[in-house]
Order: sequence, then structure tokens, then C-alpha cells
Amino acid sequence: MDDLQWSTLISVIHGERLAAPPAGFIIDSPWLPNWAGHTILDYFTDERIFLEDNLKAIRAFPQAFFLPGFWSEYGMCTEPSAFGSVSTWEENEFPFAQKALQSAADVEYLRKPDPRRDGLLPFVIKRLKRLQPEIEKAGHKIRFAVARGPLNIATFLMGATEFLTALKTDPEYMHRLLTIITDFLVDWIQWQRQCFTSIDGILLLDDIVGFVSRQDFEVFGFPHLKRIFSADVTVKFFHNDAPCKACAPLLPEAGVNLLNFGFQHTIADMRVWTGNRVALMGNIPPRDVLAAGTPADVKRSVTGMLNALEDRSRLIVSCGGGMPPGAPTENIRALIKASAQSG
Amino acid sequence: MDHSDPPARALRSRKGSRKQSGVISLFSRDFTTGLGEHMQDLTGLRESILTGNSSKALEETQKALSNGANPAYIVSRGIGPAMAEVGKLFEAGECFVPELLMAAKCTKEVFRILRPLLAQTGAKPNGRVVMGTVHGDLHDIGKNLVAAMLEGGGFEVTDLGVDVPAERFIAAVRDRQAHIVGLSALLTATLPAMKAVVEAFRASGMRDSIKIMVGGAPVTQEYATAIGANGYGESAAASVDLARRLIGA
Repeated sequence: MDDLQWSTLISVIHGERLAAPPAGFIIDSPWLPNWAGHTILDYFTDERIFLEDNLKAIRAFPQAFFLPGFWSEYGMCTEPSAFGSVSTWEENEFPFAQKALQSAADVEYLRKPDPRRDGLLPFVIKRLKRLQPEIEKAGHKIRFAVARGPLNIATFLMGATEFLTALKTDPEYMHRLLTIITDFLVDWIQWQRQCFTSIDGILLLDDIVGFVSRQDFEVFGFPHLKRIFSADVTVKFFHNDAPCKACAPLLPEAGVNLLNFGFQHTIADMRVWTGNRVALMGNIPPRDVLAAGTPADVKRSVTGMLNALEDRSRLIVSCGGGMPPGAPTENIRALIKASAQSG
Repeated sequence: MDHSDPPARALRSRKGSRKQSGVISLFSRDFTTGLGEHMQDLTGLRESILTGNSSKALEETQKALSNGANPAYIVSRGIGPAMAEVGKLFEAGECFVPELLMAAKCTKEVFRILRPLLAQTGAKPNGRVVMGTVHGDLHDIGKNLVAAMLEGGGFEVTDLGVDVPAERFIAAVRDRQAHIVGLSALLTATLPAMKAVVEAFRASGMRDSIKIMVGGAPVTQEYATAIGANGYGESAAASVDLARRLIGA
């Protein structure tokens, strides 16, 4: 994000009224490389392709916020790799992090990774370090420390079925697992901030908190999110596009001040659930409208969403989730235009 | 404030208000015909499944069997209604994935006892289903939930696991003489593998004798229609009705 976009983002979070709500997207490997004409594996392994694809996106859509912007990632493998999870790669598919724990009791042997040395994390930092001068030359800065959330990482270390079952059958081990992961995430985010002093935001992505009840979120999610978001940064951005009615009321207390959520909930409902204390980023349907619809469908969806709102502050117009695979240029332009014209 | 698990709360609030006939109507077949004095109160079994208590579920199953209950009756009046109830609570946002998985775990353990007995009594399942996550996709949670719901709904399920190539689906259908194939995918990138399975069944000459149902986060009814699948399961609970419709059970 450039300086003007960043200050606009902060205005949105503070609830300042703008002429029109800005448009913005989470962009990463499921959409960006294929949109730019590359395979996913080339995007991960070639830092020139990574840079060119990100620059191509910001040049194609200069009015849009791209969050986190220049996200140095290896799909779901980034953090699990530091715990010893085997990463599986295909040429143009999302990488997969294989289980590192075969049972809940294996948590006994799990150690907290060192973000400076372990797994793919040094690659994340080195790539950005090398590209930082060119990113800044293009007028942008590295603004966010980014990580998958503790429950999300736990599902890759154990398997989703096994982890979510173990919350009920082995809660003590799961507490230990989530505490080790959170200790690591605090270090990992701190290390990113040390490496890039331009960072003034955290983006945490965790869809799994949407899979559990409020009671389980209070026990297994909330304390960890609160610790992670207690860092002294201005923007505390959380992504969860699973149904999140159960956890939403607790997100402001966890420190979240910007939320990207799924299209199954309305902006109005989410405002009620979060006490209007969180800026919202959403939420037209990503797959059926933004990726598979026509520009007219996108316009209709954005206009319908905005017309339903009396108050358009604390809002970034986006889709309910990250940019979906296959979202075409003309649909993205239609969203940005419909948002800009709503003022 | 009641901090107990939502299924347990729901069970308490519904106790006494639900008539037995309402439960029976959830099932396409009545296995109780001719059971007479062997009809049992399976409230304890249903409650233990709803609260995810496996040891209690096994205990209640053993109790019902030693009291002379027919295993098919335990499936149709105990397990099936409990899983249907969990599915409804899940759809209503009153219970969540861990609770659903715990109920599924109970069901699986009870079936370990019942399956050989069902075979001995000659009871036929509603249908036989072969399920798996398509080639390239390693995400199994949706498939696991659907498999549990189908088992609870009286189907015999053969779970092939994750990353299953088309030829394994075909071999399993042949081997199990299955009526339905259930294909699951979480990744958009693996959707073409779903289409490949449909085409492989066509090429094998078995397409007309098998119903193919598909589901998963990136799948839509439109996609299911486009690849020539017979049905699209929007949710785990909906998959049971879909499977019944597909084979007229």
C-alpha cells in the first residue's frame, strides 16, 4: 500500500466518513499468479515473478487497496513448515502441509520453532528484504506482519478432523498445542516487525475459529488471538470467511479493528455482532459473483450491498474472503467503479 | 447462562415435545415391522450420540441388544434420528464441527458392533456408497462429515480416504457393488479431477449403473450439472436426503 492508501485505511478504521467507501482485496497465490499468467509454483519459487505479478496488480487496479500487499507467502505451508510439516507442491495447485503430529499426545514432543531459522520462514523474510528497494521505488511499503492463526496452523499439524475432534477428547493437549503455536506466532510477528520497520499492521488469517462454538472459541481461540493482537501496531486485521457469528462479538475485545468475513453474513448483521467497533471488509460473494459473474452482476451486488446500508463508514468494499481464483480483470474493475460511484 | 454444549441443550429443550412418530418420519424405511415386543426405548442412545459420548453410546447399544432389539431397529430408530438431529442443529448454527465430529465418532463405534449383526440378520442398508476426496485433494473434513451422516442415515459407506484416483473409485464400486459414488473436493484446483472421475465411469461403461453425487466448498449445482453428476450435496445433512432421492430409498 502507498502512503495515501495507508492513511485512508486508518481513516476507515477510525470511522471517518469518506466521499465513498474504498475498495480493497486480500490478494495472494490462489488468484494472483494465474491472473498474471504464471503458475503457482513459479510464483512461489521465482522472486522476480513474485515481484512482477504484484506490481502488475497494483498497476492494473491503482485505486484498490491490496492487503497485505506484496504478501511473501507459501500458501498454507509457511508456518507449518517451521514445525516440521512436509510441504507438498504441484506446478499449479495450492501447496499442502502434511501432518506433523500423528496423535494428540505427540504434542509432548513439539518444540516452538525459531522464526529466524526454521522451515520456510527465512525464505519469506529474505525474499522481501531483497525486493524491498523495488517495492519502495514503486511507491509502496511493507505494512503488515502476516501469519496464519493458531487454530489454522493446528489443523495442518494434526489434520482438521483430528484437531477439531481432539478439542473435545484431549483438551489439555490442545491447550498445550495452541499455546506453543501462539508463543511461536508472537515471535514470528515480532521478527517480521524487526526486519521491516515500515510494518504497522498485523494480518492474521484463521478460518477455523468459524468452525467452533462460542464456548470453544472462548477457551481455545480468544485468549490466543488476544495475545497476538496485543502487539503495538495500528491495524489489527483478521480474516475468517467461515461462518463467524459465534466468535464475532468477541473479536473487538481480542483487539481486532478490521475484519474480512464471509458473504454468508451481512454487513448490517456483522456490525450488530461486533458492536460497530470493527471496520469491515466485504462482502459480495467471491466465487459466484466476483469470479463467475459478469461485470453487471458485480455492479448489482455492490450497489445492493451499499444501498442496504445507512452508514457507509468503517467499510472497505470487497468480496467475502480473499480474491477468488479466476476473478477476471473486468469484474474487479466493476467492483472498484461501483464502489467509487456510490459516493 | 447455560454453558453446556448446544446439542445437549437442544436435546433438553426438545425432550417431551417431540413425539416418536415425528422421529420415524425421518426415515425412508421402517425396520420395526414385526418386531413386536422387541421395540426398545432408544432415547439414551440418541442422547449419547447428540452429546458425543461414545462410551455411553456403546453401553446403550449393548443394553438394547441384550434386551432383544433388532440391530436394524437400533439404526433406524436410534442412530439415524440422532444424526439427523445433529445435522439439523448444525444447519441452524446451534452446533458446530467438533460436536458433529464427536457424534460421527459415536456412530462409527456403534456401527463396529452393529455391522456384523446386521449382516447376520440379513438387513439391507438403504444403499451402498463409495466415498473419497478426489485426486490431488488432501482435505478430508467435509468427506468425513458426509460419510458419518450417510452411515447414520442407514447407508453402508466405503471410505476410500483422500487423494483418490478415478480408477480406485471404479474398482471400489465394482468390488462393493455400490449404488452411489460420493466425490469431495475443497480446492478449486482439484475440481477437474471430479470431472475426470465422471468421465472415467463413462469410459468404463458403468456410468448408467451408478449415481454420482458431488460436494465441497468450490462445488455448485451448476458445476455438478456441467460435469454430468447426478446430484450436488450442499451440506453434510442435505447429502442424506440427496442420496435417498438418487436411489429412491
